[in-house]
Amino acid sequence: MRTSTLCAVAILAAGAAHAQAAEIAVTVTDAQGQPVADAVVVAVPADGNPQPPAKVERPRGGVVDQVDKEFTPKVTAILVGTAVTFPNHDNVRHQVYSFSPAKRFELPLYAGSPAEPVVFDKPGVVVLGCNIHDWMVGYVYVSESPYFAKTGRDGKALLAELPPRVYSVRVWHPQLEAAEETTRKSVDVSQSRRVDAEWKIALKREVKIRRAPAAEGRGRY
Amino acid sequence: MNFFSSLSCARRAAIALLLLGTSASARAEWLFDVDAGALYDSNLNRAYEHADIRADAAIALHAAAGSFLALSGADGLTLSADARSDIYHRFHGLNLLGVGGTAVYRHKFGLGYAAPWILLSASAAHEDYRENLRDSDRAALRVELGRRFTETFDAAFGGSYDRRYGKNDSPVVPGTSGKVFDLRGQSAHVRVGYAVTDQLLLGAELAVRRGDVVATTRRDLQIFRASDAVAADPAFGNDFFAYRLRGTTDTARLSASWALDDRSSLNFAYADERTDAAGGIVYRSHSANVVLSWRY
Repeated sequence: MRTSTLCAVAILAAGAAHAQAAEIAVTVTDAQGQPVADAVVVAVPADGNPQPPAKVERPRGGVVDQVDKEFTPKVTAILVGTAVTFPNHDNVRHQVYSFSPAKRFELPLYAGSPAEPVVFDKPGVVVLGCNIHDWMVGYVYVSESPYFAKTGRDGKALLAELPPRVYSVRVWHPQLEAAEETTRKSVDVSQSRRVDAEWKIALKREVKIRRAPAAEGRGRY
Repeated sequence: MNFFSSLSCARRAAIALLLLGTSASARAEWLFDVDAGALYDSNLNRAYEHADIRADAAIALHAAAGSFLALSGADGLTLSADARSDIYHRFHGLNLLGVGGTAVYRHKFGLGYAAPWILLSASAAHEDYRENLRDSDRAALRVELGRRFTETFDAAFGGSYDRRYGKNDSPVVPGTSGKVFDLRGQSAHVRVGYAVTDQLLLGAELAVRRGDVVATTRRDLQIFRASDAVAADPAFGNDFFAYRLRGTTDTARLSASWALDDRSSLNFAYADERTDAAGGIVYRSHSANVVLSWRY
């Protein structure tokens, strides 16, 4: 009797907490008004406490696959302190590395899955490369806040299960022309369960190593 | 060597590569390249006298198959066999079928795309021309040092040694060899590449080669005396003679490559070539080619 009462109270409390949760529906477009995919949206509570409620599950890490000699997905967002695995589904070997200050690492030449995942213990952007295939580039965005999401092809992302508060929300994208900090906006979800927010960001040209072949055409004697 | 024996060589090379690739590593990366295009040369026969100059265009086809072996994170070995054919519009004696093989070893001095690298290459080929005088075996060694400075800019320089073993010896001048296409030379080059956009890659190359060069002329005793070898060259007409001299060739080459997708591109190249040969003889030629390249 006593146990079932406690369970009922816990369920009610969880339900109440869930009922209070808010969400921010984000739309990111470029300067021409076209949807921007692979933009990471991060919400940091304005009161400085980024810890999620105990009941709310947050992503624990990520998977960056290697398919057809490309990183898939190209952009992965994870919570700081979590790990990423780098399975290789190509039938050739890769050597994944990063020189980024947020995480320097190197996975020696491997096929299949490396033995250990890589833990990302500092927030920031980590640029991935492959030492065998120079054109391969990928990004791991390590968020200091548990409230983050990545836009889809429609440029939309949903920051859900947010405790009702005021959030400082910012957007990052690999081609973002300005600094990430310049995208910061204050969004208040303390009074309403759902708030729509839009960002129009200027993107620079994607600069990457060309993969396509070029004919050599050397002279002959 | 005739067409069928050339095919036999190609088949043997392909089987050898297959066996090597299978035994060396189950993780070899198979490579297939196909280039198809057209070329034009304003002085195909490297003639000295204006009246002897012959220009022509050709269809050029090239296919290669091989495998890339990542020996370590910094070392890679590419083994390939290839076949090529040039089919000329006017001078059919220059039509050729060639088969060969190439081994390329590349080492990166560090991690990342910006790490400098060194490339060592050895290649060999047999070329079978419709006009037998030109039938020959080729061998070349090449070393190149390079670096990608940014995602869009790279540069390299290097040197090479080329050797062509002429098959036919038909002397026409007493006391002078008829092995005109028995050649050797050393080259140095520097090249840069810049990707203007995701699709457009521009390139420039300067090269200098010191060694044997072959040119053609009508009967000219003064040239014959200065030559190391002379032979009748019916590819350009019954009154033409091919001759071999020592010379220095400077080549400036510009190229543009338009990526159609990750596996194919349309390429254009223009080359300006000047050869200063023994006896004060100067040859000039301009050549251009358009090539559709596909790689798997």
